[in-house]
Amino acid sequence: METFLQHVVNGLILGGTYALLGIGLTLIFGIMNVVNFAHGEFYTLGAYGAFLFLSLLDTNFFVALLGAIALGILLGGACERLLLRPLLGESIETTMLVMIAVWIAMQNAELLAWGGVAQSIDHPFPQAPLILGPISVAPLRLFVFGTAVLLILGAHLLIHRTRLGKAMRATFQDRETAALMGVDIHGIHTLTFAFGSGLAAAAGTLLGPIFVVYPSMGDLAALKAFSVVILGGLGNFAGATLGGLLLGIAEELGAGYVSSGYRDAVGFAIIILVLLLRPSGLFARAERVG
Amino acid sequence: MLRLEGLRAAYGRIEALKGVSLEVRAGELVTLIGANGAGKTSTLKAISGTLRSSDGRILFEGNEIHRLTPREILTRGIAHCPEGRRVFPYMTVRENLEMGAYARADIHGIREDLERVFAHFPILGERLRQAAGTLSGGEQQMLAIGRALMARPRLLLLDEPSLGLAPTVIETTLRIIREVRQRGVTVLMVEQNAYLALRMADRGYVMETGQIALEGKAGDLIENEHVKRAYLGG
Repeated sequence: METFLQHVVNGLILGGTYALLGIGLTLIFGIMNVVNFAHGEFYTLGAYGAFLFLSLLDTNFFVALLGAIALGILLGGACERLLLRPLLGESIETTMLVMIAVWIAMQNAELLAWGGVAQSIDHPFPQAPLILGPISVAPLRLFVFGTAVLLILGAHLLIHRTRLGKAMRATFQDRETAALMGVDIHGIHTLTFAFGSGLAAAAGTLLGPIFVVYPSMGDLAALKAFSVVILGGLGNFAGATLGGLLLGIAEELGAGYVSSGYRDAVGFAIIILVLLLRPSGLFARAERVG
Repeated sequence: MLRLEGLRAAYGRIEALKGVSLEVRAGELVTLIGANGAGKTSTLKAISGTLRSSDGRILFEGNEIHRLTPREILTRGIAHCPEGRRVFPYMTVRENLEMGAYARADIHGIREDLERVFAHFPILGERLRQAAGTLSGGEQQMLAIGRALMARPRLLLLDEPSLGLAPTVIETTLRIIREVRQRGVTVLMVEQNAYLALRMADRGYVMETGQIALEGKAGDLIENEHVKRAYLGG
């Protein structure tokens, strides 16, 4: 039982960042109808961003995290403005190909800039784990989970409680009518892509200090993000949140009780099952994009 | 108030409007009737800026508006209530009405108009927190009209307000349109149900294959032999 609890806690911590990745991807798909194959690269960008701020600019750890997220937001916004806006109204396959190109370009740019050697990110948290009854958690992991939860709550409030969020939901539900209401669809798209990329960068910058940072780290992250989106249903915000946590827990349980080599396989086995049995996602009846 | 001069517009290579000219004077209720695919909806879309015109002009109160964005056209005083109601299904009734006032910043005025919409449509006030997608067709039509009124327009474009509604609900909708007029809002209404439209309009235009085929006082059009044969089932 104690090991079970420990696995669940570890799963939640991992799942929180999966949820961040999934929410970003699902918003971009839901509102813009763009399948963002470069999503994982914004995750990598977040991790390398933190590394850049820490080791080259020598900033404070928390400043580095914020800087990395800001980098993701800016580059995401630029990517939408320069590459996707001219393609508005084109088929989903066209934007898909463009995003695959961005994926390849960004990954190779990272390889060029940092070399293929894995880097680690230093953090100011003590190594000794906190003992909470039957479970133990490293302080860094607790910080990662807490930040992920805060970001998810913030995203939720943005979408449900603000004027901008209302315009985003309206655009998702009926783009043409939203335009009739005076919503600037171009602006909503830029902000959505910037926001989604910022969330991916946040996930990368949070997991960077836990794992190591290398140029192709985004590939697996992108697969996880797609898994989360499939679990939760395309365009479903709450689904992506729950899907992320579920995937994290499932992976930890799989790694703990089957074999750590099967960690990723467990996640993908679940995806195959969901696609076979409930192809519109586990939470398909919930409201989409909010 | 509104004048279209030789307006042309196309979807890709398919030309929907082949030189449409029409006029709506302040305070009028003008109807645009015609068969499916004649270009009625496209005309409204061109006016509200959601369909780009390729040639011709649209003048609103003397100013050209055919190069403006939908938002700019809306803030000048033209609201478009689209065909098929198009309420935001997963948003509440209240959020839908708030979206109607999205381009406005005067919080007091918005609150006033919200109260006025509830006075017009008490059922909407009762269903404020309900998702719009769960309303009946008639209620959705009221919400769509209420939402358009939330922009406080001087000209209201109504696309097929009677489409898919039960006869009793149509009567309610027509009563609401008359009330909207009495508040001083000018109305340009597209309708497939020509008899219904001509009965309540001041003037009418008949559209055929992207052009205006006939125009006149509504009472005269009802008596017109061609209109009778083609659109009134006589």
